[in-house]
Amino acid sequence: MKIKDRSTMVFDVIKGILLTILSILCVLPFIVIISGSFTSNSAIIRDGFSLFPREFTVEAYNTIFKTPKDIIQAYKMNVYYTFMGTVLGLLVITLTAYVISRKEFKYRNTVSFLIYFTTIFGGGIIPWYLMYANVLGLRGTTLAIWFPALMTPFLVILMRTFIVGAVPDAVVESAKIDGAGHWTIFWKIVLPVLGPGLATVGLFQALGYWNDWYRASMFSTNSSTWSLQFYLYDLVNSTQAIKQMAQYASVNTGDLPTQSVKLAMAVVATGPVLLFYPFVQRYFVSGITVGAVKG
Amino acid sequence: MTKTETKDGARIAPRGMDRRLIAASLCALLILVLFLPMLPWIHIDNAEALHEAMQLKSKTAAALGNAYSSLTFLSFVQDSGKGLMGPYAFLLLIISVTAVFLLLYGLALVLIPGLNRSKGDLKRCGMLQKGMIFAFLSGVGTMLLCWFGNRSYGVSAFTVMWPGIAVTLLSAAAYLVSKNLEKEERVFYKEHGFMEELRRNWLLFVFLIPCFGFFLINNYLPMFGVYFAFTKFNFRDSLFASPFVGFDNFRFLFRSEIVHLTTNTILYNLVFIVVGNVLQIFFAILISHVASRRLKKVSQTLIFMPYFVSYVILRVLVFNMFEYDVGLINNLVTSMGGQRIDFYNTPGYWPFLITVFYLWKNIGYGMVVYLATITGISSDYYEAAQIDGANIYQQIWYITVPLLKPTFIILLLYALGGIMKGQFELFYQMIGNNGTLFSTTDIFDTYVYRITTTQPLSMGMGTAAGLFQSLFGFVVIMLTNFFIKRKNPEYALF
Repeated sequence: MKIKDRSTMVFDVIKGILLTILSILCVLPFIVIISGSFTSNSAIIRDGFSLFPREFTVEAYNTIFKTPKDIIQAYKMNVYYTFMGTVLGLLVITLTAYVISRKEFKYRNTVSFLIYFTTIFGGGIIPWYLMYANVLGLRGTTLAIWFPALMTPFLVILMRTFIVGAVPDAVVESAKIDGAGHWTIFWKIVLPVLGPGLATVGLFQALGYWNDWYRASMFSTNSSTWSLQFYLYDLVNSTQAIKQMAQYASVNTGDLPTQSVKLAMAVVATGPVLLFYPFVQRYFVSGITVGAVKG
Repeated sequence: MTKTETKDGARIAPRGMDRRLIAASLCALLILVLFLPMLPWIHIDNAEALHEAMQLKSKTAAALGNAYSSLTFLSFVQDSGKGLMGPYAFLLLIISVTAVFLLLYGLALVLIPGLNRSKGDLKRCGMLQKGMIFAFLSGVGTMLLCWFGNRSYGVSAFTVMWPGIAVTLLSAAAYLVSKNLEKEERVFYKEHGFMEELRRNWLLFVFLIPCFGFFLINNYLPMFGVYFAFTKFNFRDSLFASPFVGFDNFRFLFRSEIVHLTTNTILYNLVFIVVGNVLQIFFAILISHVASRRLKKVSQTLIFMPYFVSYVILRVLVFNMFEYDVGLINNLVTSMGGQRIDFYNTPGYWPFLITVFYLWKNIGYGMVVYLATITGISSDYYEAAQIDGANIYQQIWYITVPLLKPTFIILLLYALGGIMKGQFELFYQMIGNNGTLFSTTDIFDTYVYRITTTQPLSMGMGTAAGLFQSLFGFVVIMLTNFFIKRKNPEYALF
């Protein structure tokens, strides 16, 4: 055991204080939401939000689960989008990443660049929207909601970094000498050691899908294809809008979803992500290495 | 002359300028001349019948000429005020410009010795061939355009003139000649072409099919939609037949929105990049010095958590904190005897609030990226420094920070690539359609989204704004990468 000098001791104290403050700041808003969802609505209106529920009640959750049809539908759609997007997305991302990680592939840098290029130049969202809505006529379908996010250039490059790190060239070379083709190498050699990569990229992918409201807002024609976040967005937005109107004209705000119900919805919508997170985070926080586009 | 070929025709030594290369270059030169706008590729024969079929007013018709090249035909579309042939003329223009650019570059490779860094004539041939393909497509495209125009207006008016036909034939011939030379060069330099690569690694190409299809549909085909930026978009004429108006949309944007959208977008992103990276590095270093594994993991997990919150939840959260009547902040303020603050009607607060919530959501992510680099630093450095008597600050400043530079540069380059791309979801969910706050919070992405969802007739304008945003960002990243590559190729992104 070595003896700590003064500067190290000072550093340790500062480090402890700052990290504690940051950690608290990061968690605090969650606590506000959760405590709000367990507070009775009248208490929120009377005293406003606070850190700990003043009058504890599960009334908001009861309200949500009493009329669950819409919510269950949105939940089902969310699970569906997330499943499709994550499974198919992981497959195509990994296949692509494998190809651009192979040194013997002549066009690997061209392909990488073509993928990266889509992030630095594009037609913008209007042509993108018209492509799906008018040219392909996918408005109102579920396909239009999960397909457009199947691959992101960033995740492809991240996955390539994982493959390069997990599979030494020598292993691939010796497998080749033994007569293995790309099919065998991909399924038997690369995939089995790619756990952390699959977990990390899969989590990013699943997270993107679970939290999506944008595509659901763009391509839905009725509420049956709404994702959970868009359902929540709609709920929050309409209450907010009506409340603003109520400032100028007398509108009956009695039927609106109450503050606590909105917060309870937020908890219900985020819950699965936070429950799932601890299981994959050991891969996740152990490191994301970002590499260049060229291989 | 020295003997440079074996009996079966394979070359065994490099030699001077090949005759085939000279021929291809001459063709390229000739084609470039034929591309000059004053040489008409398209001639309009029955002008009056055509104008009648297009239902033009006599004043409009009088302004139209009757001879156009592949580069100038769009002016006919614009002056006629009818958009039907617009997309094809636009595509033809893009192909023609690409052809001219590639041929010029190919000629430069042939003529300027220092420029050609590849083996033998491979790059020269490749570039000329690409140019020839595009020149050929320009020729064929012109023919198709004439055919399409005649068919859709029911008048045989558009005729292809000799320069167009000449370019088609010349480019085909030059392509074949150059291909012949390239084949020989490949044998000599033991390089292989696309077909050979396809034969060897066909499975890799199969693996790429989904990726190819995805990016084609999601990114590359929509790129052609930038055409809408040059039209007065309406849904009445079908999607691709709105009148072509040239740069009108851009002129309007430059008079009104562009300056403030550009400054807003760039300033926000610069602040995000600078403050974000500094804090991420700072906290990554702090966490790396936490001795207990458990504490390390717990704090990492907690700091990363906001990254998982959806922006809709963020909206709920922000609303609950800053709302006038029941918001948490206003509650605290009043309980301490202060006046309620009207956040949602005061634009001045929001740049600060948006930055804070951006950081709140993203510190954890960047921190983990930097932490991965720090974990990879060999402990030998620190031990050696300790023996030399360096204290902890010196170790951080002289060892950790410099070794984080490559990661920082990569992240910086990726971020610069998106300097014109706003954090749409963040801004939209925090501000929404609250017009009072737009002066300090409107960025390109929110502006375009608003147009798409609420003003379908301004879609041309929205596309123009999007195109400007895209081009600006593209130029920034290309220049940055170019300079980094010259200074230190190790750090270049591509």
